[in-house]
This record gives sequence, structure tokens and C-alpha cells, in this order.
Amino acid sequence: MDIFANLAHGFAVALSPINLLMCLIGALVGTLVGVLPGIGTIATVAMLLPITFGLPPVGALIMLAGIYYGAQYGGSTTSILVNIPGEATSVVTAIDGHQMAKQGRAGPALAIAAIGSFFAGCVATVLIAVLGAPLTKLALAFGPAEYFSLMVLGLIFAVVLAKGSVLKAIAMIVFGLLLSMVGSDIETGASRMAFNIPELADGLGFATVAMGVFGFAEIIRNLDAGAEMSRDLVQQKITGLMPTRKDLIDSTPAILRGTVLGSILGILPGGGATIASFGAYTLEKKLAKNPSRFGRGAIEGVAGPESANNAAAQTSFIPLLTLGIPPNAVMALMVGAMTIHGIVPGPQVMQKQPDLVWGMIASMWIGNLMLIIINLPLVGIWVRLLRVPYRLMFPSIVIFCAIGIYSVNNAPVDVILAGVFGLVGYWLIKHDFEPAPLLLGMVLGPLMEENLRRALLISRGDWSVFLTRPLSAVLLAVAAGLLVLTVLPVLRAKRDEVFTESEN
Amino acid sequence: MADTMGHSATATRNTKVALGFCLLALAPQIFELIWSIGTIFGWGAGRGPATVVTNHATALLAGAPSAILGSFGGGAKKASSEVLLALIYSYPLFVVAILTLFMTIRSAQDYVGGVVLMALALFALWASSDLQGMRGFSFGAGTAPRMFGGLLVALSAGIALTGLLTEGAPLAHYAWRGPLFVVAAIVFFALAIRPLGLVVTAFVSFMIAATGSHETRWLEAAIVGACLTFGCAILFPYVLGLPMPMFPRFLIQ
Repeated sequence: MDIFANLAHGFAVALSPINLLMCLIGALVGTLVGVLPGIGTIATVAMLLPITFGLPPVGALIMLAGIYYGAQYGGSTTSILVNIPGEATSVVTAIDGHQMAKQGRAGPALAIAAIGSFFAGCVATVLIAVLGAPLTKLALAFGPAEYFSLMVLGLIFAVVLAKGSVLKAIAMIVFGLLLSMVGSDIETGASRMAFNIPELADGLGFATVAMGVFGFAEIIRNLDAGAEMSRDLVQQKITGLMPTRKDLIDSTPAILRGTVLGSILGILPGGGATIASFGAYTLEKKLAKNPSRFGRGAIEGVAGPESANNAAAQTSFIPLLTLGIPPNAVMALMVGAMTIHGIVPGPQVMQKQPDLVWGMIASMWIGNLMLIIINLPLVGIWVRLLRVPYRLMFPSIVIFCAIGIYSVNNAPVDVILAGVFGLVGYWLIKHDFEPAPLLLGMVLGPLMEENLRRALLISRGDWSVFLTRPLSAVLLAVAAGLLVLTVLPVLRAKRDEVFTESEN
Repeated sequence: MADTMGHSATATRNTKVALGFCLLALAPQIFELIWSIGTIFGWGAGRGPATVVTNHATALLAGAPSAILGSFGGGAKKASSEVLLALIYSYPLFVVAILTLFMTIRSAQDYVGGVVLMALALFALWASSDLQGMRGFSFGAGTAPRMFGGLLVALSAGIALTGLLTEGAPLAHYAWRGPLFVVAAIVFFALAIRPLGLVVTAFVSFMIAATGSHETRWLEAAIVGACLTFGCAILFPYVLGLPMPMFPRFLIQ
């Protein structure tokens, strides 16, 4: 079997001491980021990009991947113990998880969250290995027209799965596309919207914008509310991590459903971990015999979303590794990391860089194993971290971010630009615009423009090429259908329902 | 709070919003003016403030209308960039500002958000107006920016319309302290990292950022800031091998 040979190769790569260390660091940092509220995964990955410059590419990507799925574990700890989500993906975990903790069942809640995440992580790892090769073959049949249509579909998915107004989400994507066009034109070399500022000639740095919009803006927003967030930390010592037999029986189906839902939503472009956890919670509530238990400490309400977000975090690597298209903002940053190391993401990566792809896949399983150890017995240490007051944390994050951006290009202008985008991000939050589609638009912008130009050049200016090529037509039809469905009142209500869960 | 405001209060707020839009409509011109003041002291190259004022004023008052008339008359004279700025960016926003006076804004959050986004899109349209368009069936450098700029204008107009037609949230409250000091810390970092080095810059930036919260305790912040600076000074240049100036330049020389 090809897959087994590939996986064995991957494990050989991932088990080398340096890569094991990278995996451990990634998992630790991810957990830390997940536990601490106020620093998101996106900002952290952006912040740590420059750190990976000196590392070999495989190690660097293993570490960055570890941060992403590690944060999914860590976020649940904060949600359960403190009732504020450490990550956007564990917002719904807080609803039932914290109730369980109040009833003195913090241990089982944490354990189920970790077991669910681990199971989901294992399934997702296998899924990546199985789906990787066939999808790559499919990708090789793609021409520029198909790529363009696929990206349109991805962006539409991002709109459908984003929170809030559809119009605003589309506007954010287009804004991102416009931002991506600052700098030199790829084909003619003409300087576009750069106003003769030499630092802009190379375009806006992706990490710079990400750090501004997600890092600085988040800090500024948190300061609004007053630095001291109410933290009703569950103070009593956590005893008895082992869930009871009944807990296990109750949560097994929820874990299975969460894993399936999360895996599907992760693969879809525009999806990702946040929507997966919201969706899983709604699903559990719908299927439950007695929905009134939810919100009062139902263990399914912890098991489902936690499995789903971890599964989604991992399966979102599939479109990146096979098609070279990032399905969400964190994956977009991974593209940045790959580019820095001279790897062009796309279908050829699987053949040309087997070490990288299979090593990363294998490391995910190892990382999940590490995480279960990091999170369960060591939970006391992470809880202690939560006592660090925000008034000391936020200036530290500002400095770390500033040093991080500066070291990408050794350019002070980048730091100022990130500050400007911090203000832009703050404004966006105040006007209820979602920044995630903006980032996705910015990453896909150059790819989209290039493929659009190429497709039209090949077809000699005939726009109908997008509809006459069957694959492209199907993709566009799906995109159009989705958009129509989202705007329909019935489905719109359903979509809003999924997202309002956290506000109860 | 919004409920307690009477009709006259809404009216004054509309005027304020309209005035804000007028300011926004002139923002690039004002920005260039402030920038040009630097040339008096010999910082940077560019036009002096006097030229900037006269050029933009003529463009806004006389240049643009004549350009419109000229285009109707079939004149193919190329408009200057100031005139284009007035035509593409400022005039539409002035129109929006005037229209705002006669509207009932149901959701200020959406309305203002939409209009500001539209301003950004118009600005992008202006910025890409000097780029080459389609050449036959091949895209010029300016085709895609103009395409997406136009799309964004339409979308943001849609958002602004939602703000007029449906009930929604009012303008959110902006705090000034947090943004001011966090941005001040970032700007200080950017300006000081080359001449002053990492040690001084990181510590001072930390203290500036810490000022952003009114709960900061100074001694505590200074201790943590010192520890963090020490940690960064070891982590970044030595452990991670990223080249970075460490100490102030004048001390080393």
C-alpha cells in the first residue's frame, strides 16, 4: 500500500530529534496561546514566522502546524475553567464546560475535551493521508480557468461561513483583493497604488497586515473594555480527571459526530475550526433527547465542539497541501511560511517534497499525542498562567509583535504599517466587519488575478471560457448556488442561529 | 442612550456625520499638505505647502468642473492628478455628505462603515487611474485594481443603503487611551529600533504601551518590562540568530 509506505516515511522524518523538538515547541506554544485569552492563533503564527527563518523548512512548518492545532486544545482549558474562551474556536465549549466545572466536574470536562480532540486529530491525520494523493491528481487537471473558479468558490464559502452580514463579508474580501494589488504588477512590473513609496513597491507584507488586523487591533479592542476582564476562575483544585463510565457513553457519539462534521467543514475552503465548533454544538443540541440539559453542563456540549474544532484545524491542511489554496487565514499564513522557505504551495509539493508533506502529516499525530500529555496532567500549570493580569500581558504582546514584524524584513516601515492596520482593524471591529475574509482575499488576490489574466489570455479574451470548461462551470455553479442559498431567508435564519449560540 | 435623543438630536448628529464625510473627502489633500510642511525644514522631497494648496484648490474649485465640461465638449486633454482626485474621490464624497443631511440614518454603524469603505474604494480607483487598462484581450496593470475597486464601490454603497433601510446598531463608542498609547508605542519602536537598539527601544515601548491602561502599576510594569527586554535581548539575536542592533549607536561608536 502506497499510503502506508508514505506514512512510514513521514514518521521517519517526524521522529528525528530536531523535528520532535519542533513539534513539542509548537504544541507548547499553541497550548499557551490557546490558554491565554487575547492572543489569537493568527497573530501568533504571524508573530512566529520570522522565528522560523533559521530553521529547516520541515521543522518550521511542523512547528507552525503544532501551534494551530495546539491552540484548539488550549482554548478549551480556559473556556472550561474561566468561562472566557481562550480562542474563538472554543466559544461554545464555555457554555457547558464552565457549568460542569462549577458543579465540580472540571476534571471530566477537561478530559473529555482532550480525548475528543485526540480522537478527532487521529481521524483527521488519516484523512489527510488518504485524500492527499487523489486530490493532487485532480489538481493536475486544473487549468487557469478552473483555478480561478475554485478560488471564487473558496471565497464564496468564506462568505457563507462568516459571521454576520453577507454583504459586509463580500466587501471585506474585495477590500482584501484590492490590498493585495498594492505594489508591483506581476506581469508588467508597473508600480500600482504605491505612491512612489519604495517600501510599498514590494507590496504590503501579508504578515504585517495580519499582525495589525488581528494582533494590535485585538489588543486595542480589549483595552476598551478595561484591562481587567472578569475572570471567575474556578479556584478549587481539580480532582479526578477520569470521566465516569456514563460520561464516556454519553460523549462517544458526540465525539464521532463532531469529528465527521469538523473534518468536512475543515476541508471546505473558507471553513475552519470556528464554524466547525459552532456547527457541532448546534447539531448536538438538535439531536439531544432533552435539549434543556444544554447550558447546564451537558458533556456532549463539550465533546462535540472540541472534537469538531480539532478535526477542522487539521483537515484544513488538505486544500493547502493538494491544491495550494489556503482555506482560511491561518493556512494563508502557512503559505507565507512555505514561500519564505522557497516552497511553492500547490499540487507539485506532494511529489517534490515528500519529506515535508508526509513529515508534517505524521507530526500531527505525534503532536496530538504530546498535547494530550501536555494538557491533562499539566493542567495546573496552565491555570496558574491565567492569573497573569492583562495589564502586564498586553504591553508584552505589543513588544513581541513589533520585534516580530521588524525582523521579517528588518524594515521599521513594516512596524508602522502594522500599527496603521491595527487602527484599521479596530475600526473594522467597531463597524462589525469581519477581518478574516479580508485576509483570505489578500492572500488569494495575486493568485486570482494571475489565473484570471492567464485564462483570458489563453481564450483570447473570451469570458465564456469559465462556463464552457466543464470543471470550471461546475465550480462556479456551486458558488452561485451557495450564494443564492445564503441570501434566502429560511437558510439565513438557520445560519444566524448557529452563530448566536454563544450569546445565550 | 439612543432612545432618549429627540428629533433635534438626530438632526445635529446627521450634520456631524455629514461634516465628517466632508473632512474625509478632503483627507488626501490635507494629508499631502501636512506632509509638505516637512519640505520647509528640508525633510523629504516633494512640493512645498504653497504649491500643494494652490494646486488642490484650483483643482477642486475650477479644474474639475472645467474638465467635466471639456469632456462633454469632446476635449481629450489629459486631466492632472489633482483634478482626477477631485473628480474621482472628493466630489462623490461631497455628494454623499450632502445627501446625508436629508436622510434618516437607521443604523449609523452600517451607514458610516459603508461610506468610509466607499471612500477607500474611490481612493483606490484614483490611485490606479494612471495605470494602463486593457490592451486588446490582455489585462493591463490597472485593469484588475479598477475592476475590484468598482466592485467595492458598489458593495459599500449597498452596505450604506442597508444602514438607511434597516434598523441596526448606532455608532460604537471609541476609546482614545488604548489606541493612542499602543500606536505610540509601535511608532516609537519603529523610529527608535535603528538608532537606539533593541534594549532601550523595547523597554521604553513597553512602558509607553503600558500607559494605555489606567490599571497599570508603575513599579510592577517597570520590573516586568525590564525582564521582558532582557529575555528578548537574548532570545531574538542569540537563540534565533536574527540580526538586530542591541545598544544605542552613539554608545558603540
